Amino acid sequence: MSIFSNFSREAKFLFKQKHLWAFYAVVVCLSAFAVYSGISEANHQQATIERLLEKEAIDRENVIAKQKDYGSAAYYTFHLTYSEPSAMAFAAMGQRDIYPWKHRIRMLALEGQIYETDADNPELSFLGRFDFAFLVSILLPLFVILLLHDLRASERSAGRYDLLVVTAKNQHSLWLSRAVILSLSLAAALLIPFVVGAIVSQAPFADVVLMVLVVLAHLLFWMVISLVFVTSKKAIKQSSAQIASVLLSVWLLVTVLVPVVSDLVINKMVTGPSGGEIMLTQREAVNDAWDLPAEDTWTEFLKTHPQWQGKTTMDSPFFEWKWYYAFQQVGDQKASALATAYRDAIIKKDQLAGQFALLSPPMLTQRILSAIATTDTQAALVYQQQIRQFHKSLREFYYPLMFNKAEFSLETLKAQPQYSTYERAHKKHMENN
Amino acid sequence: MQKEVLIADSLSVSFNHQTVLDEVSFSVAKGEVFALLGGNGAGKSTTLKTFLGTVSPHSGIAKVMGLNVTSEIDKIRAKVAYLPESVTLYGHLTGVENIQYFLALAQVNCTDADIEQALKRVALQQNAWHKKMSFYSKGMRQKTAIALALLRNAPVLFLDEPTSGLDPNAIDEFNQLIANLATEGTTVFMVTHDVYGACHIAHRIGLLDQGKIVGMFERGGQTNIDTEAVHAAFSARNRP
Repeated sequence: MSIFSNFSREAKFLFKQKHLWAFYAVVVCLSAFAVYSGISEANHQQATIERLLEKEAIDRENVIAKQKDYGSAAYYTFHLTYSEPSAMAFAAMGQRDIYPWKHRIRMLALEGQIYETDADNPELSFLGRFDFAFLVSILLPLFVILLLHDLRASERSAGRYDLLVVTAKNQHSLWLSRAVILSLSLAAALLIPFVVGAIVSQAPFADVVLMVLVVLAHLLFWMVISLVFVTSKKAIKQSSAQIASVLLSVWLLVTVLVPVVSDLVINKMVTGPSGGEIMLTQREAVNDAWDLPAEDTWTEFLKTHPQWQGKTTMDSPFFEWKWYYAFQQVGDQKASALATAYRDAIIKKDQLAGQFALLSPPMLTQRILSAIATTDTQAALVYQQQIRQFHKSLREFYYPLMFNKAEFSLETLKAQPQYSTYERAHKKHMENN
Repeated sequence: MQKEVLIADSLSVSFNHQTVLDEVSFSVAKGEVFALLGGNGAGKSTTLKTFLGTVSPHSGIAKVMGLNVTSEIDKIRAKVAYLPESVTLYGHLTGVENIQYFLALAQVNCTDADIEQALKRVALQQNAWHKKMSFYSKGMRQKTAIALALLRNAPVLFLDEPTSGLDPNAIDEFNQLIANLATEGTTVFMVTHDVYGACHIAHRIGLLDQGKIVGMFERGGQTNIDTEAVHAAFSARNRP
């Protein structure tokens, strides 16, 4: 008799049990809710970006109309930088709950502007978000344990075990068939709402397939763990409650203990400056510059911008925009080492977390899902780099106008860089990779 | 001499260093009804489970149709049918569905007509056939399991307290059924503590006490085994 007829027999048998239908209905509802809340959050983030872009366009027009020189125009103009949620973000919000995904940037010292949101209350990162990735990485193992822990013990306690074992042509294929049918049904209950969500979000087919494979791999891991233990010789005399306790201990170990311990170890192994330190260093540098001789600022500035040598003479001994922006630039230069150390520490921590995740399949699953959805730490760092590139392009636009004392023209300002160009280029880059 | 279908040769079983079966030896011939009689904890069910392969012998040999239970249990299970003491089939399935499920499990092909015939043979009332098993009485569940065992068409039948929970009429019908099966060549091995039932149905009775065979009683031609003698031996060993 083929394996398919075993599956067919067990499917007919299992689905005559009403409580299973009720269980799968609950899973479908949970999955649908996770997908719905993910889509809502992604739509909300997208709508926020679009709303802010609209407001920014109006605001910029009004602000620029009132300016008489390029320095004021650069000072009063805000630029929205943002990282749009990917089409798969609905399934795994990942680090978007921790790292900011939008900033309002001015042509002042940049590092402080990037990290000032680090002072936000990170409550959400502790609570976690009930998205599809959470459902799959944290709750899926519990569903599998719930379905499979009493696969054999329930037959023993009901007094059917001997009859089943003696009657079955192959008792191992009996337990395996039951476990496979129960697990596949669970996969369907979890994945149907996800696929619907992916269609609604117009997610790329390859990414959807990849996520489905990750979900199935995680499910397979827990199915095998549960099945091996449930059908082991050691478990033959154990009650359902005892078996469930053992499996739940494994779940606690890999889902809670390993991530918590790895977090402690990683933070002990890798230390780096905080966002607040970077912001303070940069702001102190900028504030101190007001009291320092202008020459000190120019010396530092020219180390990185030698092309403006000979153009640093000031018409006023008290204030000039090019000097103001020069010491903003120097502020960034002073914070640069800290910013690099901060970034290196994040990358190192992320790499170590990736290694520890090999000990925790739920953690690994969550990381892979976030990577597919481009909501991982890597994506957050890429966004930060985009902000720096954009900010650099602003300086490259304004510095020639200020240092060459160009005649002020509103027409010229229309050509100032737009962040949307970078966002589009980034998207293209991500798609190509 | 009829061929020996079941053989227990110096069979010993122990759990947690405690001997449950101690060097038990007997054999059962083809078409014979053999009853293993004993009080609670005598080792009857352990003997039966050893033949079914759900308990492993500590030493000695147990064979079914020449196949060793320790090395050829899958082959043995294809040739035997088992009727547990307390039949608990699946409550969410009907009687017929339960039979269909267990037959599929055993990979035995039976038509609906075969199932109907078996259910009629065990006298399960027809209006119960398609009712959920959770509504069945103990006797009805027992009859369903007997029908299943019949449909397995197995040459060896293992029965664990087969008449417990059956009403007197059902017991008579059951005894008749077993006698017919034995006549047709089915070997029946039953464990029971029902002295009168065993004397009525069995060709031979082995009396088991504290894991040892302490007596063997045999039918003399057409005469049933002497109930008084068996009862006296049983009572002597099982006084409160």
